[in-house]
Amino acid sequence: MGKDKDVRMSLQTLRVLEAFLENPTEELAGTDVQKRGQLASGTLYPILLRLEAAGWFVSRWEGVDPAHVGRPRRRLYRLTSSGLARASEIFGSFGRGVIA
Amino acid sequence: MTTRNDLTDLAHRLILRAARQAPAPLAARLQEEWLADLQSRSGALARLRLALGCCWATAVITRDFGVPRLATSGAVSGHRAHLADLQQMLPQLSRRTLTFILIGAVHVLLIYSFATGLAQQVAASIPQVIHASFSEERRPQPPPAVAPEFKPRKIYDLAPPVVDTQKIEFPPEAPAAKPKGGDGTADPETQVAAPPPQRLVGGPGKDFPRTDDYYPALSRRLEETGAATVQVCVDTQGRLSADPTLARTSGSRRIDAGALALARAGSGHYRPSTVAGQAVNSCYPYRIRFELN
Repeated sequence: MGKDKDVRMSLQTLRVLEAFLENPTEELAGTDVQKRGQLASGTLYPILLRLEAAGWFVSRWEGVDPAHVGRPRRRLYRLTSSGLARASEIFGSFGRGVIA
Repeated sequence: MTTRNDLTDLAHRLILRAARQAPAPLAARLQEEWLADLQSRSGALARLRLALGCCWATAVITRDFGVPRLATSGAVSGHRAHLADLQQMLPQLSRRTLTFILIGAVHVLLIYSFATGLAQQVAASIPQVIHASFSEERRPQPPPAVAPEFKPRKIYDLAPPVVDTQKIEFPPEAPAAKPKGGDGTADPETQVAAPPPQRLVGGPGKDFPRTDDYYPALSRRLEETGAATVQVCVDTQGRLSADPTLARTSGSRRIDAGALALARAGSGHYRPSTVAGQAVNSCYPYRIRFELN
């Protein structure tokens, strides 16, 4: 799985990226992305893994003690700097000349 | 309550099963991630939907990460997925070899079935006699000559835009001419109430910008549609007398921004509201809908 690969920009991939671009430094769990992007889980998780494999995202386990918080720890995803640049470039291309 | 718990248990089991079938390096991670996301869902049906989605996700992830990609990998159909499973079991064989083996096996099975009479037995088990019965054609009966029942036409209530009449400036009303009796006083029998002045609410007028030109490009790409209501204040020349504001959101910030931009760009092209045929300054809301063609 190489880094910084090109990813096919499907409608669903754009929705995932859009969810992260609302606050690019924010870490989001799969459920958060699903709510923001209104995506089905069957579509969402492969896209998250694909973007992570391509170097657009990094992920880590939530730093909480499951016994203490009473729930399992979540997997959190965040845009990398190169992912942010690529995503911004793609979304910027949609806004040229038109109010977006 | 029991059904709800059953559904939740089913969702839990489905996720465990889906994660087990995922590529080995990802299985443990996906299981923990999906179970955590499952717990954050409220409602048994929502959990079941998540679990079913995870089953689907496993198939896609297995395709993406579990087997070597073909040079022309596109949408993998069902038989390709089965071949991929077979290839995992028999890694020393190429996909093409497996395909030839499968085709050969089907031919061997067919030849064997014909040679041993199995095919004839199967054919013999099909009933030979086919009973066909002809039924008389039923011609449509003419409808009874009954006077059609009168049904009032449904009148769709196309609500006119809400007009804040408090903000419409009305011209001073001219005193109504009173019919006078012989003594110079108003005759109560011949006195007729003057009709209220006709008020017409303004709206987009001639040469108003096209909605399509202000459809946000990203919304169009994301297939986002919606209608926002903007409040505009228009003078007698059809120009905006104040910056338009959002009266009701469409639910999308982009669509709302596009609607406001369109409302601003339309300044000078509005049709002013009129009272008794005379243009007046007014404020009114109107809806701007962005739809994909």
